[in-house]
This record gives sequence, structure tokens and C-alpha cells, in this order.
Amino acid sequence: MSEVKTRKFVVQRFDPDVDQAPREQSYEVPCQRNWKVLDAINFIKDELDGTLSHRWSCRMAVCGSCGMNVDGVPTLTCKKPVDELPDVVTVEPLSNFPVVRDLVVELEGFMEKLTKVKPFILRAKERAVEEGTHRQSPEELEEFKQFSLCINCMLCYAACPVVANEPEFLGPAAIALGHRYNLDSRDEGAAERNEIFRGEGTVFSCSYANECSEVCPKHVDPAAAINQAKFGAVIDWAKHLVLPRGGK
Amino acid sequence: MARDAHPQAMQPHEPGRTRTAPPKMPAQFPFAGNYRSYILFDATGLVYLLAGLVALRVVWALGTGPEAWARVQAQLSHPLYVLFHLVALAAVCFVAVRFFRLFPKAQPPRIGPAKPPPAPVILAGLYGAWIGLTLLLVAILSGGLFG
Repeated sequence: MSEVKTRKFVVQRFDPDVDQAPREQSYEVPCQRNWKVLDAINFIKDELDGTLSHRWSCRMAVCGSCGMNVDGVPTLTCKKPVDELPDVVTVEPLSNFPVVRDLVVELEGFMEKLTKVKPFILRAKERAVEEGTHRQSPEELEEFKQFSLCINCMLCYAACPVVANEPEFLGPAAIALGHRYNLDSRDEGAAERNEIFRGEGTVFSCSYANECSEVCPKHVDPAAAINQAKFGAVIDWAKHLVLPRGGK
Repeated sequence: MARDAHPQAMQPHEPGRTRTAPPKMPAQFPFAGNYRSYILFDATGLVYLLAGLVALRVVWALGTGPEAWARVQAQLSHPLYVLFHLVALAAVCFVAVRFFRLFPKAQPPRIGPAKPPPAPVILAGLYGAWIGLTLLLVAILSGGLFG
């Protein structure tokens, strides 16, 4: 039988039909030793207050749905053990996002940013099926693999001070994903993306606070991606400046 | 509860039909958690601004004449100026160490066919160049070189 310890969870609530502004509500939760924060929130939802809204799905740090601010830190709640937390725990929706209801944030703004970086393989000419598959060596895969592990959990956006102040900023996950395709040996769209990266509110808005990488649950290191992308954008700009037809 | 973020932060261009609560700044920003180091890093800009103004004053005294030069040298030996320069030295060291820590991972995986050296080699190069330049400057300023 697991040991049980009661913790107080102070949860931010917001009902757009009733509340003018978010408010706090406290719950006493009997937490078992092996619980994650998500287990406690699900307990609140199932046993104490069915009106609480939150997102979750896989419970194994793959789907990226259950990101919330736990004691002020953007956290994947299915990954964070309650035993690592104090007796009183605050749970809020992710910072930097508009709040739809309780712990649920509006993600449409991110989807708009994501499409801008063209997060897919771009080819000058599509390869015919009979030409076979694109071959890629393990070394080539290794160059971008780290940046492809992003689960779009939005913790990096919640931690970024630039996202909070510059609405145009594409942000960590979107730039990391764009950079991931720039590094992919099968892709031919780096020049196109680098042109986007040189625009307003893109890689050069990043002041390298590095907070995105600190909170990333998959160790994607978006700060590294953004700052590598700065280098690529500058090299491309210089090529356009000195080489005929941009060195193409 | 944290301060408000920019009201348009992470807002879609077409607002949805549901009324939303405005976005909040990261709860720990600016003086808690890892943000402290980032804010301190940015705040060193003020120290550089003041150090720059002191340098301009020194250059102006040098151009004015021997008396002004002697006066500014006497002023610079005041404990408050010495303290300020110690703070400036600490700021430079802090910024350099933070920059060096973050520099290796900002390197692209390759430039053309060439790959950057491993992080320890980059760090050794950065610290080596820093120490070498410092020793060179000490040698020049103490008159050991060109004296």
C-alpha cells in the first residue's frame, strides 16, 4: 500500500462566462508517493471538483498536452513527481498565453507562428517514386535529431521573456523546428527559411536568456537552435551580398 | 499572481469566440529562478555605460592639459572609483563566463564540410585567448612591452 500525504493545491480558475479575471481555488489532495502532478490534478477533477478544466492525454511525456506552471515554473505535469514539491503547490496555466478556461490556454497563436517557418521538407524538385527513397547517413541524422524531438508542449514559450513582450516573435519551438529542417540533408529550403529568419520578430529578437532550454522536458535545447539559426541567416545574407545569385 | 504580459502575446490574428484571460508574464521573471542571472547579465550594460563615460572624461582630461590629467588621475585613485572599477571588472568576468558557457552550443553543426571542434576545445580556446590578451595588456600597460 502506497504512503499517502495530503498536499494543498492552489489552482488558478477562470470561467469566461462568469469570471472577470482569474481567481484561485484550493484543494486538499491525498497524494500517493508515486504520483505525478497530473495525477493530483486528475484527482481534483475526478473526485473533488468536476468543473476544473485541463488538458492531458498520454501520461508519459510524449503528447505535450499537460504543460502548466507548477510553483511558477513551466512544467510537464505528467513528468513532475509530487514528492519533489512542497506541501502547498500552486498550479496555473502556462504564462505568455491567453487563458481559455482554468488551466487551458489558447494555442492558435502558436499554430500561426509554426506555419510561418515551413516545418516540412522543401524540395526544388520532388523526387519520383521510381528513383527510390532519400538515403540519409546516421551522421546526417545526428545533426538535426535533437531538434526533432520537440513535442510542442509550449513550456519554452511560457518561459521566454521575449515571447512575453514581443508578440511578433516566432518563439523557441517554431524556430527550433524550422532550423531542424534547415539541417536535414533531404531538405532544400534553407535559403527560403533563412529569409524568414532574417525578418522582424525572428531569430535576432532572441536575447539568449536560455530559459526555453532550461524548462524543455525533452532536452531539445531550442536556445541552441535559435542561435545556430542566427549564424545560418547571417551566412545566407552575406552570400546574397557578395556572390552572384546568392551563391545558388 | 504574475504581471501582465503584452496583451497580444501568443494571441491568434483572428480572435476566437471565447473570451480569454490576458496572458501573464513568466511567474519567476525577473528576479527569481534562472532569470536572475539573465537580468544581471543585461544590467551589466549600465556598468559599461558608466565605465564608458569615465573613459571619455579621462580622454577629455588628457586633451585639456597636464593639470587636468593630474587632477583626473588623483580623482581616479579615490576609493569610490576603485570600487566602481572592481564592480566593472566583476561585471566583465560574469558576462565573459556566461557568454563562454553558452557559446559552444550556438555553433552550427557544420560550415560547409567543416565541423566545429568539440565544446571543451572551443572553451579552452576562448579562455586561452582571454588569459593571453589579459597578459598582453598587462605587459603593455606596465611598460614591459614598448616601455
